[in-house]
Amino acid sequence: MDATEAAAVLDRARQGDSDAFRALVEQHSRSVFRLAFRMTGNEQDAEDVVQESFLRAYRQLGRFESRANFGTWLYRIVSNCSVDLMRSKQARHDQVRGDSLDEGAMELPAADVPGPERMAQSAEIETRVQRALRELSPLERAAFTLRHYEGRSIDEISATLGLGTSAAKHSVFRAVKKLRLALAPLRSQES
Amino acid sequence: MTNHCTDEELTLYYYGEGRRRHTIEQHLESCPACAATYREIAGTLAMVATPEPPERGDQYGLEIWQRIRHQLPERASGFSRFSGFWRFSGFSGFERFSGFDRFSGFGLAAAAAVLMIAAFAGGRAWQRSTTPVLTTATNAANPEHPVNRENAANRGNPANRENPANRENPANREHPEHPENPENPENRTNRILLTSVADHLDRSGRVLSDIMNAPRGDISAEQRWANDLIDASRLYRQDAVDAGEDSVASVLDELERNLIEVVHSPSRISAADLDQIRRRIDAASLLFKVRVMSDELRKREDAPDRSAPRSSTSTRVTS
Repeated sequence: MDATEAAAVLDRARQGDSDAFRALVEQHSRSVFRLAFRMTGNEQDAEDVVQESFLRAYRQLGRFESRANFGTWLYRIVSNCSVDLMRSKQARHDQVRGDSLDEGAMELPAADVPGPERMAQSAEIETRVQRALRELSPLERAAFTLRHYEGRSIDEISATLGLGTSAAKHSVFRAVKKLRLALAPLRSQES
Repeated sequence: MTNHCTDEELTLYYYGEGRRRHTIEQHLESCPACAATYREIAGTLAMVATPEPPERGDQYGLEIWQRIRHQLPERASGFSRFSGFWRFSGFSGFERFSGFDRFSGFGLAAAAAVLMIAAFAGGRAWQRSTTPVLTTATNAANPEHPVNRENAANRGNPANRENPANRENPANREHPEHPENPENPENRTNRILLTSVADHLDRSGRVLSDIMNAPRGDISAEQRWANDLIDASRLYRQDAVDAGEDSVASVLDELERNLIEVVHSPSRISAADLDQIRRRIDAASLLFKVRVMSDELRKREDAPDRSAPRSSTSTRVTS
């Protein structure tokens, strides 16, 4: 789809043409899923985010300015949907989790990873990284994902998540700090 | 730079951001403490590898569309409430008439006003035309005598609405309600029906095509699409039967039965069961019929006389 055609499709979608919106869904679904997966770290959650993002986009299409880039606009919606989903999951999780229950420890796989030592070590790193990422707040995780995986600048993160630059920056800093703490034992093993 | 770098500065430096990059770089070369902290930050962040999302196929976008399309908030249309057909014609394009609801109140008021004015004007005109006839018409040579063809009241006068040459006569081809007038609302409806059925057949064709090419194992995604299509297929088939479109109804009937079979199969299907479904689709040449029918309907949609070939052989797809 060239730029003129894409603009025409977008214009039709904005006027309520569901065929045109379907074309946008088909065009962007895979990239939306990739971002949602990185944000949530979970396939099922990512699927939920993809659906919710397109529904939200459809509802908000009227507010989309045709001069803007649809991909960027959608990216913002996906990021915010991911944050919302993580927040609601966290709220449920906090409700269910008792003070004494350490879910992270429960989710640690037994140290019976088969294969050479290196594989076991890399599996352990992966597990600890995933656990550390789960411990981040939704906003920290979103900001960190955008910075670390997606290569977005602080200014872009700020625009995407609707935060001030300082808040975006500090979300990334807090995430990095928590990761350093969580992964410190592995660093000391390596050194 | 005399002071040590903060963790924040080193984090930004790692990501290629921050304002004093050159100064920090020089400082790291001369300050072992900051260099150690930087190595620790960089080492930690290097452990956080970008996760590789599970692969999604080419049909993923379509799958998402199938999942969300029934959840899309209504953006249309007074029309859609009055017909099961429109309810399922997500692709009919009628959604673009999103202003209909908004302006329907105004529209009705305006229509009522126009009717009142027309009735008033019509009444006046009727009075003017009948009164002289009653008083002055005494013989057939008189143009105002009802027997005289020049009299507007005479059916032989083209100005008379009952004269077939009069555009206001429903028998006239230019009358908006004449079956051969493309502007006839019924013809427009047919045209949109054709588009919607063709769209439906295209979507069904994609599902069938996916079934034909699916690896054995999980066909739950295809089942969800098929399930979405069954109700629409049934409605379109009923519409086609009502409209005397026997060949369209026949293809839709066959399609519906195959879609039902797909939906009722186990989601984790064995290779043998999947082969059986495929053989049945193949044996009926269903995919071929669906595609041919869709093409035919689109041609009819573009044809000048859109309402015509209800019993045309051109849409007949034989087994």
